[in-house]
Amino acid sequence: MKKTKLGEFEELVLLTVAVLQQDAYGVEIKRELEERLKEKLSVGSIQSALKRMEEKGFLTSEWGESTQKRGGKRKRIYSATPYAHRVLQEMKEIRAGLWSTIPQPAYVKVNY
Amino acid sequence: MNQLNNISPPRWPLKILRLFLKKQYLEEIEGDMEEIFFDNAERLSLKKAKRIYTWEMVKLLRPILIRNLDFVERINQYGMLKNYFKVSFRGLMKNPVNSFINVFGLAVAIGLAVFAYGFARWTYSTDQFHENKHSVYLTTFFANRDGVDQQYGTTPRPLGEMLRQDFSQIKNVCRIEDRNVVMKYEDNVFHQRVRYVDPSFLEMFTFPLKWGTAKSLEDVNSIILSENMSEKYFGDENPIGRTILMIYGKDQSKAFKVTGVAAKFPNSLTINFGFLINFDNFRTTDPDYDFHDWNAFVNATFVQVDSADLLSIKSKMEKYKSLQNKAADDDWAIGSFSFEPLSTLHEHSEYIKDDISRSSKDNYTSIWFMIVIAAFMLVLACSNYINIAIATAAKRLKEIGVRKSIGATRKIVIVQFLTENIVLTFLALLIGLILGYTFFIPGFELLWNFDMDFRLIDVRLWIYLSIILVVTSIASGIYPALYISRFHVVSILKGGVKFGQRNPLMKVFLGFQLIFACVFVTMTVMFSQNTDYMSNRSWGYNQNDALYAKLPDQSSFEKLSAIMTRNPDVLSISGSAQHVGKNNTTAVLHFPDREYEVDQLSVDAKYFETLGMELKEGRTFNDFEGADRQSVVINETLAKTIGEYPVGKVFRIDSIQYEVIGVLKEFHSYGFDQVVRPLIFKVADKEDYRFLSLKARSGTDIEVYKSLQAGWSQLFPEIPFEGGLQQDVWGFYKEELGIYKLVWRVFAFLAVTLALLGLYGLVRLNVEGRTKEFSIRKVLGAGIKHIASTIIGQYAILLAIVIVVGAPLGHLGGAWLIGFANKYHMPITYSSVSSAVVIMVILVLATVSTQISRVLKSNTVSGLKTE
Repeated sequence: MKKTKLGEFEELVLLTVAVLQQDAYGVEIKRELEERLKEKLSVGSIQSALKRMEEKGFLTSEWGESTQKRGGKRKRIYSATPYAHRVLQEMKEIRAGLWSTIPQPAYVKVNY
Repeated sequence: MNQLNNISPPRWPLKILRLFLKKQYLEEIEGDMEEIFFDNAERLSLKKAKRIYTWEMVKLLRPILIRNLDFVERINQYGMLKNYFKVSFRGLMKNPVNSFINVFGLAVAIGLAVFAYGFARWTYSTDQFHENKHSVYLTTFFANRDGVDQQYGTTPRPLGEMLRQDFSQIKNVCRIEDRNVVMKYEDNVFHQRVRYVDPSFLEMFTFPLKWGTAKSLEDVNSIILSENMSEKYFGDENPIGRTILMIYGKDQSKAFKVTGVAAKFPNSLTINFGFLINFDNFRTTDPDYDFHDWNAFVNATFVQVDSADLLSIKSKMEKYKSLQNKAADDDWAIGSFSFEPLSTLHEHSEYIKDDISRSSKDNYTSIWFMIVIAAFMLVLACSNYINIAIATAAKRLKEIGVRKSIGATRKIVIVQFLTENIVLTFLALLIGLILGYTFFIPGFELLWNFDMDFRLIDVRLWIYLSIILVVTSIASGIYPALYISRFHVVSILKGGVKFGQRNPLMKVFLGFQLIFACVFVTMTVMFSQNTDYMSNRSWGYNQNDALYAKLPDQSSFEKLSAIMTRNPDVLSISGSAQHVGKNNTTAVLHFPDREYEVDQLSVDAKYFETLGMELKEGRTFNDFEGADRQSVVINETLAKTIGEYPVGKVFRIDSIQYEVIGVLKEFHSYGFDQVVRPLIFKVADKEDYRFLSLKARSGTDIEVYKSLQAGWSQLFPEIPFEGGLQQDVWGFYKEELGIYKLVWRVFAFLAVTLALLGLYGLVRLNVEGRTKEFSIRKVLGAGIKHIASTIIGQYAILLAIVIVVGAPLGHLGGAWLIGFANKYHMPITYSSVSSAVVIMVILVLATVSTQISRVLKSNTVSGLKTE
């Protein structure tokens, strides 16, 4: 089952792909994540996460349009597979379950 | 955005990316990168965008994104490679005879190649240690003395001084003159050659000093010694401050203070010294030395000037040419001045007359010979390898079959065989290096008495060796590898394949080797014959009974000849200003129609009789005071160029008229390696006598030599004797001939050994493969005659072809080489060819017969049981 395990960074990338829908290609994913995380990311880290998840079956991809800015090279649009959605959902539930069972000290404010 | 058209991301990171990244990801990632780059270029500076782009590229090199690299693949094959090495070593151990033939042959060839490299490096390093080698030039001039433009290495005396004064661009000028003197320190008294030089000598020629300072040469009382001379006179002690006495005339001497000792000279150089003293010493040692005489020449004048400035100086040399030609006699008019850079002087020296440098042309020629020989040896050794590999392939068929059936492709089998080859060649390389380092190089150094300064720590040597390793392994391995890997698994395992014994290429290779050996044998026979011929060749006069002594002046001649006349073994005594084999002057002869530059010797009337020179026509000089002042005796070479009836012909030297009265039969003044030059003898003035020659009764030369030495030391206890047997005047020449003979024999021995080893290996394999056949023959009653003819029959045609091709080829090559190396040599006959053929046949038969006897002795029963 190790192969299907989702890393922390991978999970973030996967969520971004799900958010961006039709715009989910390398540069856009990077921009979105950088904004949300408030830190710089390298193309290499995004790309390796994407490729790894594609291998594990979380993502599929297809060729998109090409622009002048890209020197005529096509984009690769990523989309999350149903399997990925299921795994994300599972992860969320596991986390939520865990959170809910933490005995709450008075000073911790939980958002949900 | 409009800027976008003229900016672009840096190129090289993209290239790296394309090289490493997986192909299917390239378009997407390249596009992403470009998009980000242009975004960044808009937001930030172009420079920063480029930097980010490059850095991002580097960070893209992650395992998941980059393609599988070949080396990663190869590391995966580590286990297989290990297996190849193991199999190679087992193979080597299993067939020790074959392995020895292969490894030994290659090692010898590589040893020779290492030696050739060492020699080439030594030759090319000549004079290259001088720091100013590109800015120091020898002043030379061109003159047309007898119809050809000739470059001369000497310089009119005043030129150096004038150049120094006239051109500020010239940093240094150095004149060099040599004189023979006697150097004395306590009991050490020897004849020496001392170099008079300008103090800038050590600035221009950067010989490092062991002790003392170079500047000290500015003092006329200083002397700087070479390390050798310092050891000769002072032993190991530091001689700085000691006084050494230079005796330059009969009763004239000057004391010098030692102010410097040079460190050991580099091993390859053309200009060196024993003793250096200031040029101004001529004012005391030779008051007649006229520094301003355009008619007299110094040995050499060097200038130090930047090459950029040289051109402008060259263009102004006309002035000195006209000065020279005005002052000098018409005969010695010069055409133009020119400058020769020190860095290449040793290469050009061959074509510059009377220059101070040593020519290294012979060395450059030798490099080519050595390369050719080493290359041929390599080819021989490779042929051996190929032959044996093909012949033994049958034994490895099973192995190849198994390898192939468990999945080895043809490519993998080829790689395996090449790996084996690299292992073998590497082994040979190590042995060859050891062989070259401990045998070829020291042997050669010992023979020629020089130090090649060969070092193992030399990057270029290792590059050279690696190239040899790769080229040799591939050259010898590729054919067997392709050949053996070709066979199909099924037919191998079924046992249907029979090969190796009858590959036509094997005979071609063998034939080639034997032809090469035959060429070498023929050439060596020729060289040996020629060497014997040369050492017995007549010099054209009787050098064996003649002796000579060098003298300081006329009175010493009279005293010494008075003593020697009393010796009953002395048949004749003669005086001369120059002496055959030792030195000569030159003169230009003016005939009505043309001019000749000739060698000139001044002698007395008894000289020809004393040296045993024979008259061809005419007469020699009359033996009375004042006779034949305007007559000359000439040699045959000059007589031939003058034309018919030379006796009686008249010509002028300067303004004096001379008549030819006699022609001497041809004789060699210097070694056989030099062309006999046209030569005249004049009558010498008695005060010019500097040599005394003697003719001893046959067989008494050694006793006369001793009495000559005794007479000398009785007369001049202070001055060492200088002279000897006439047969020694060519010095090293005779030994040199012996060395050539030896070297060729070594080469021939190696070539023949390699070829015979190859033959031996093949015959042996052939006979082994036919054990059963021979056993059956023996059972059916075959005797020695039958078996011998069966085995020899296979090689008879080959041997015939080898001899028919090899012997004439060797004869041609030998004749060319002998003509190339010697100006005078034996008449080329075919006797050498017949001896070579006999030697070849005997060697081949001897090799083959070892196997015949093996077959005869082998056990018939066990032979029948094989397979």
